[in-house]
Amino acid sequence: MANFEDLKEEARKLLREGKIKYLIGYGTGGNGWQAIPVFIKTPEDVEKLVWDPTCVHNLARFLVDEKRRKARQKQPDKRPVGVVVKGCDSRAIVVLLQEKFIDRQDIYVLGVSCEKAGVIDDHKLARKLGGKKPKKIELAADRFLITTADGKVEFPVEELLAERCLECQANFPVLYDILAGEKTRKAVDKPFGSVEKIEALGQEERWRFWKEQLDKCIRCYACRSVCPMCYCDECVVDSINLAVTADTTAEEKAHKVKWIQRSAESSENFVYHLVRAIHLAGRCIDCGECERACPLDIPLRFLNKKLEKEAKELFGYEVGFDPAQPPLISSFKDDDPGDFIR
Amino acid sequence: MEPNVYIPKLAKIIHIKEEVGGARAIKTFRTVFVNGDGFSHRCGQCAMLSVFGKGESMISISSSPLVKDYLQFSILKMGRVTAALHEMEVGDLVGIRGPYGNGFPVEAWTGKNLVFIGGGIGLAPIWSVLQTALAKKEEYGELTLIYGARTSKDIVFKEELADLKKQMTVHLSIDVAEPEWTEFVGFVPQNVLDKKPDPSNTIAITCGPPIMIKFVIKALQDLKFADNQIYTTVENKMKCGIGKCGRCNIGQHYVCKDGPVYSWAELKKLPQEY
Amino acid sequence: MTLEISSGKMMDKILEKKSLPLWMEKLNAWTVYAPRKDENERWNYEIIDHAPASLELAVTTLPAKALIFPQREVFLEFSKTIEGNRETLEVREVLPNGKPFVIFGVRPCDARAIWLLDRVFGGDFTDPYYWKRRSQASLIGLACHTPPWENCFCLSVEGSPHGEEGLDILLTDLGDSYYVKTLSTNGEKLVQAARELFKEPQPDDKKKVQARHAEARKKLVRGVKGTKKERAAALQGLFDSSLWDEESMSCIQCGICTYLCPSCHCFDINDEVDSISPLRGKRVRTWDNCQFPDFTMHSSGHNPRPDKASRLRQRVLHKFRYFVENFDQVMCTGCGRCISLCPVGIDIIKVLDKVSNHGA
Repeated sequence: MANFEDLKEEARKLLREGKIKYLIGYGTGGNGWQAIPVFIKTPEDVEKLVWDPTCVHNLARFLVDEKRRKARQKQPDKRPVGVVVKGCDSRAIVVLLQEKFIDRQDIYVLGVSCEKAGVIDDHKLARKLGGKKPKKIELAADRFLITTADGKVEFPVEELLAERCLECQANFPVLYDILAGEKTRKAVDKPFGSVEKIEALGQEERWRFWKEQLDKCIRCYACRSVCPMCYCDECVVDSINLAVTADTTAEEKAHKVKWIQRSAESSENFVYHLVRAIHLAGRCIDCGECERACPLDIPLRFLNKKLEKEAKELFGYEVGFDPAQPPLISSFKDDDPGDFIR
Repeated sequence: MEPNVYIPKLAKIIHIKEEVGGARAIKTFRTVFVNGDGFSHRCGQCAMLSVFGKGESMISISSSPLVKDYLQFSILKMGRVTAALHEMEVGDLVGIRGPYGNGFPVEAWTGKNLVFIGGGIGLAPIWSVLQTALAKKEEYGELTLIYGARTSKDIVFKEELADLKKQMTVHLSIDVAEPEWTEFVGFVPQNVLDKKPDPSNTIAITCGPPIMIKFVIKALQDLKFADNQIYTTVENKMKCGIGKCGRCNIGQHYVCKDGPVYSWAELKKLPQEY
Repeated sequence: MTLEISSGKMMDKILEKKSLPLWMEKLNAWTVYAPRKDENERWNYEIIDHAPASLELAVTTLPAKALIFPQREVFLEFSKTIEGNRETLEVREVLPNGKPFVIFGVRPCDARAIWLLDRVFGGDFTDPYYWKRRSQASLIGLACHTPPWENCFCLSVEGSPHGEEGLDILLTDLGDSYYVKTLSTNGEKLVQAARELFKEPQPDDKKKVQARHAEARKKLVRGVKGTKKERAAALQGLFDSSLWDEESMSCIQCGICTYLCPSCHCFDINDEVDSISPLRGKRVRTWDNCQFPDFTMHSSGHNPRPDKASRLRQRVLHKFRYFVENFDQVMCTGCGRCISLCPVGIDIIKVLDKVSNHGA
């Protein structure tokens, strides 16, 4: 079984031999303990790579930027890019492959297994530490070890794990060129437990809940910007044509439908978030980044998780495991439920 | 109590002329303020035209400030607001707020020769200066116009240009030869080099697509025009028109407020991000 | 347009902490906002239903600017009416018409940012919407006795943990009381509304305040290098540098850094149509963001800032060079929100460090 040092050695080799253009991985950010995305271009810089419970980002997101960058260049460098992925992130890559947004040969996948843990939730950590600042976070078997200015504290992983990790059924990458860590399946009691809690609320209560949450939205679009699957050049929220060429007529631009206003009003916020959730049905792999990025703490995961649950229950569809599987919305089976057709 | 800068005044369209038809349609509109409380402007200034329900668009005022009966705008159909304007009829109401921008320093140009160099719709923003200079011919030196468009159909102010030829030197051009065309064939910068305007005591005023402006400035420099003898008017995406929404800046300047008129001497000092 | 500033003769007072909620309750001529913490330990200004026992040093997610320059406001309403065969178009101005309001517990960096925004929304053209809310707003600041979080850097951008710009009153926490420094006639009105709650300061209270302020200044850890002029000059030289491409690699082009910045002010204006025929609708201002790809895109498709590098460069240059050129101020007050809330950890202090090292 390979470990993270082996993975780093492989990365150095790939960069030395020029087999990859650059590597997208996790490095330690400015505050000294939280991981941030880093772009490694030389074998020497591989030393900056880290793998710890603060590695929350879905680095597959940067494959979208890479594709856009290549599209702008006259003679793009066609070598693959390396990308470090966790289980959830690898499923995002599977979806991008299913949709033929990227080719398998464009990427070199360095997988890391969360084993029996996952990543830490910032808010849970803040509450547990009660204002103390972390300096380092490590995983030791089934406990998180946190070093603060006052010394070390430890917690069982379940107390600090992100909610999505508690419901995760893919704690190791489903797709990789090299894997660091064990391929141990985690037993998950209730994969949709968090959604079921909301479903159990009555309709009135649910409406009030979502209205209160979505009224907070300031339409910063961090949720959309951080999602690897929101790669459309022209999104439903854009009220002007973005993909304008010399052939785009004034009429096309004039008649583009304004589905959603920019105003952060209840009705517009609802439409934005619900449409985005529907556009992600069968595509969202619950990396939780949308919710983590949201500065107003809107529990966006629930919307996407609900649709993931429906995809599983109605169509037996599991998102992001098999690159050869067609996308949910653009395929059908003869025995798909049809009882809603009257 | 100051009037609210964001509230447009209502104006009626009194005249519409189709200058160019087809995909790159251009129409000239003349407007009068409904309540008589209009404004006067300087050459080169612009105004925000409102089509209520669609939005606003910043357009150069192409009529001379000496004309008191109307404001004139020549508008290329490009997107939501301009397409809506093109569908309007005489008698329809628009909103106008302005005038915005810094205008051409025409007072400083008395006694000088003026060379106007325009491409396509770019003739409209400099038309006000040209008309003003023509009306006060005795205050200026020689007036010359070098103007070109893609095809003869894309030429704006066709009738006015025919009249103009009787009052000043006019050199026209189109990009590609056409059977009836007897004047220069080629791009506007090439025509500039062909006609060789004399830089002594001359100001060159140019406007057109960004790429044309770039090459015209180069051509003028080749002809020994100094940087402060070359003037242009730039455009950028605008929303507020008054230097607050943060969108139209080139460096520390807001084009809506500190521009749109610049001499090349001033413009070259700003980041070339426009 | 300027606000009335204290002539310096307003009397400083002492307010015992236990009287704070009583003061808030007396202010029924105002809508009272105070920072409130939610279950995720996040703060935001909210209209108080019952007064908090004390003011904590709160880094609210949304800065105070959101109450004076909101995400959305209506400029005007338009409607067409048809009488017989005559069509008339009516355009009606819609000005903010709320009650005066007071915001308790404003950090000096948020207040200073509003003081900077006064320049943007004033000047040659007065923005009536901003100024209507601005004139209705009273800001009661709380001096920071310690940096509220690790990403504060106010001192290096001409701010201070006890800065007074933009505030009507500055409170300094002295343990079981607040030292109340009134800075404007708006501030005076607030004190007068509950004057019986305020005491005269003791002879050494002022010294205690100065000591607290000095202590606070020493505790600031982070900062950007150089003076505002040095930074502006360094930035001019680096316009074409590859630095911007490197620093913007992980940027995801969301709106967090700009929307949550207390001094960012870019906005959009759009017509929202409620009815097509007969035409009825509003012209609305909403926040906009120089990091969005379509921010500067012309209708023709031409985009002066077509990539992430040029957009990041615009943000940094606007704040640390262009605003300095236009107003002789840095358009950043060191609140640290952009650093703490950026989903990918882009750190403006680190970017500026690279800028100063580049020139070296």
